[in-house]
Amino acid sequence: MGWSDLGELLERFVLPLVSGGELVVGRPIAIDALGDLEAQIPHVTPQLVAVDEARTEVIAELVVRPPALVFEADELCLAACVHNLLFLVHPRADSWAVSTSARMRVLDTAQEMAARPLSQSRSRVLARHGLLHNLFRLTRMDTKISWWTGSATYLGQRPPGRLRTWRSVRRVREEQSVASYEDLLGTVEVAPVVTALLRRAPLTQLLAMTRDGPPLYWEDAVFLLRDAELARAVAYRSLRGSEPRQVVAAPARFAAAFEQMLERAPAESDVRAVAAFLVHLNALLVVGEAGDREIGPRSPLLSAVLSPERAGQRQRGLATFFSLPAALAQIDPRLGVPPGVATDALLADRWLRHRAQVVEGVGEAVIETLAGRLRRHLTAVLPEHVSM
Amino acid sequence: MLFCAVMSPRDSTGPDWARSTAPGRGGLEHVSLGQSRFMTPGVAPDPRGILLGRYGLLIFPTLEGVVSWLRLYSAESPLDELLAALEISQVRTPLGSREMAVRIPAISSYVVDRAARCALLVGGATYTGTAKHFVKYRDDRSPYGYDAADLTPLPPDASIMVHGEDFTQTYARERDLPLDRLLLRLSRRRIPGGADLRPDERRELFLVVAHGLGEGVIRYLWRNRVVGRVGLVTPERKSAFDESRARVHLLFRVQDLPARILDLFRSTPGIDIFRPLTENVAVEVGYAHPIDLASCQSLFEPSRFFLFWGQRDQVDTIAAPLELSGIEHLTRLDIQLDQATSGDTLQIAALDAVGVPLELAPSLNPSRRVVGSLIPLEQARWLKRLIYFLPQTSLRGHRMALTDRGILIVASPDVDVIPLGTPLAEVAPGLLVPLGWDLVPRVAPDVLARSLGHNAGLYTVFPPSGAAFQIGDSALAPLERRALARIEIGGAEVLDARIEPPAEPAVVNEPVGRFALWGFRAPGRGD
Repeated sequence: MGWSDLGELLERFVLPLVSGGELVVGRPIAIDALGDLEAQIPHVTPQLVAVDEARTEVIAELVVRPPALVFEADELCLAACVHNLLFLVHPRADSWAVSTSARMRVLDTAQEMAARPLSQSRSRVLARHGLLHNLFRLTRMDTKISWWTGSATYLGQRPPGRLRTWRSVRRVREEQSVASYEDLLGTVEVAPVVTALLRRAPLTQLLAMTRDGPPLYWEDAVFLLRDAELARAVAYRSLRGSEPRQVVAAPARFAAAFEQMLERAPAESDVRAVAAFLVHLNALLVVGEAGDREIGPRSPLLSAVLSPERAGQRQRGLATFFSLPAALAQIDPRLGVPPGVATDALLADRWLRHRAQVVEGVGEAVIETLAGRLRRHLTAVLPEHVSM
Repeated sequence: MLFCAVMSPRDSTGPDWARSTAPGRGGLEHVSLGQSRFMTPGVAPDPRGILLGRYGLLIFPTLEGVVSWLRLYSAESPLDELLAALEISQVRTPLGSREMAVRIPAISSYVVDRAARCALLVGGATYTGTAKHFVKYRDDRSPYGYDAADLTPLPPDASIMVHGEDFTQTYARERDLPLDRLLLRLSRRRIPGGADLRPDERRELFLVVAHGLGEGVIRYLWRNRVVGRVGLVTPERKSAFDESRARVHLLFRVQDLPARILDLFRSTPGIDIFRPLTENVAVEVGYAHPIDLASCQSLFEPSRFFLFWGQRDQVDTIAAPLELSGIEHLTRLDIQLDQATSGDTLQIAALDAVGVPLELAPSLNPSRRVVGSLIPLEQARWLKRLIYFLPQTSLRGHRMALTDRGILIVASPDVDVIPLGTPLAEVAPGLLVPLGWDLVPRVAPDVLARSLGHNAGLYTVFPPSGAAFQIGDSALAPLERRALARIEIGGAEVLDARIEPPAEPAVVNEPVGRFALWGFRAPGRGD
């Protein structure tokens, strides 16, 4: 099946990609076909409105006033890119009739489609997030049918009814497994294209940092932190979960990406923005404990994730995440403590307890090392310029 | 004794006399961006496109190189993240020369980059691989790494093969050198000016004090108001002949030690000062371990406390956590038992019992809190009307019992009693008298309760007129239950107004035919 009808593509692939359900993957979309599909945009208004409304619903969870969304060539290219990437895990794309060079052609096409201009426009970023927000939740139901003389596997396809007949006589056994993002879009082959795709939709990547995915390049995403509403949405989404390791999973990945950013040559303003955001996440963890009377002087969250017994199993970036306020306090105290913490006595007390517990947990050497690395990027502030 | 020295840099990429070209020809190919097939087994490009195996392998000509590398690396980044798979081995080439190999987990190319940079500084070479074949790690000439041009099987006695730019070298493993043993064997270095501690470095210190000086040090610290704890520690004897270690020390943990006392202790023989680096590791002040011990904290058992001596070049271990006692409880006491105590011996005479009746009398004490009320039965109608105006907290906070002597209402401590009837105050738990009155004779409440047969499950009420009465606690019911008459309630249908959670997007593969890519053209190509 080829995608020559835009209405059908929107209805069977794009709308389920946005709002969930079964999204159909057919023959890959060629670059040349994009022009024909784009020309049909004015003629498929009902399907476009459905997709735009679904995207608006998604964005309404993040911002108070979602911008007006209009499906256009940019979204079409990105959706076609996702479709072509999913075709590469289609069982037919792995058969003898498809050569390696043919697969490379599909991959090149997807790369070309993903090469849309990077954008820092709020409405553009939100529109792309509305389209791609489900990228990490994509699944595929695989069915393996075995009978007394053989077996067959159907990847994302319904097995024919004849194989299921006479179940007891033919000793038919049916096993189902679910392929997740790692199997569909996390392979080495398509990972560079997914990385390129997510650079165009940095909000999607920031909001999905609790899951596995390509590494984050803060330079592409730091502008989102300067938008208070989006930064707040990212912060609240990243601290979801009830189990301690789950709560700090996204902050640890943020901090690991921050470590890698420090290895490059980032702008000082970018380093400051990311550092302030990570300190804000630390403050949110403190706020979460400040009003709870059942919690003792030591934070159970920090005790669980920074315990010396589990030092070997710590997530990457975790020590950096918790050490950052102390390290920043040595360089620029304005960054080391989020504004407003000092005004609330309960919060300030909890903040200090957290910092002391972090020093115990990670050791002063780690903080000193981090401060040394930060000094290379940040201009220190003289004490008289600090207003607390 | 081992010592740490930075090796002079040398050309690690060139052939070494100990390296032979046998058994392979050697030769590497530059890896290009996007390359996905490699000759070397177990390697793959990371997200940056850099060729990486599961491990990084660092080869050093001597053990000093290894120590120098550990020192450099631990100063920049925590060793803890490498410890899960770090192995140090002495390896032998086919020609018999010995080298040192350090295997680290290749967590990311950033980690291996840092390890390679440090290794290059101290004369080491870096390779990457997964099992037996390791290829040269990336450098300026090939930023995405190298792949082996051809692979030959390893000789039977070899355990690893490294592929350099123009050589191939096999190594047989001779022995392993655990990092924790290495750490304990390295001598501490004296730091110039390291004994002058800043106030934040003096926040917590450990003192190892000879037993004979203990009392004096405790008294001195206590007089100077230094907060500290102390315990008696005996280093474990390694053998029956280990006489030199059979000394008993006092171990102090002191906080915010003033600089003048620190200087005094430093110059006093028999007192050694240690600075804690982690929860269970301390190093003698003025000395530093070549390797940053805080960066490899997981190597030190939490059940042991490690004291790294500087001058004596030894490491003492103590069972942890340290159980220390406050020094304020160990100051000397002057006890004089030889002087006789003086004082009179007193006798208690028994009194005859005097039986008098219990009566209510106007109280001379300040008025007590009202805890209940006794409402005459004729005022029951007023109570019913009042109930309509009472807030929910009051309804829940009052309990009532209907008796032939009136309606007894008892309030919980957080609500005010209904202003009806005779207000009652409590002279003892459960013993209620009218407000402004007291029981005479004024005996102790427990004596009074015993003589009245009053106990915990009872309320004993003294009304303004008439005899006292008792009522069981179980007879009192919350006012909100007593307040309502039977109400007929009709059923109502419950409607489900929940919004269905969004469905997961699931991929369904359409049949696309055997030649799905027939006629599919690549971008920018005419084919």
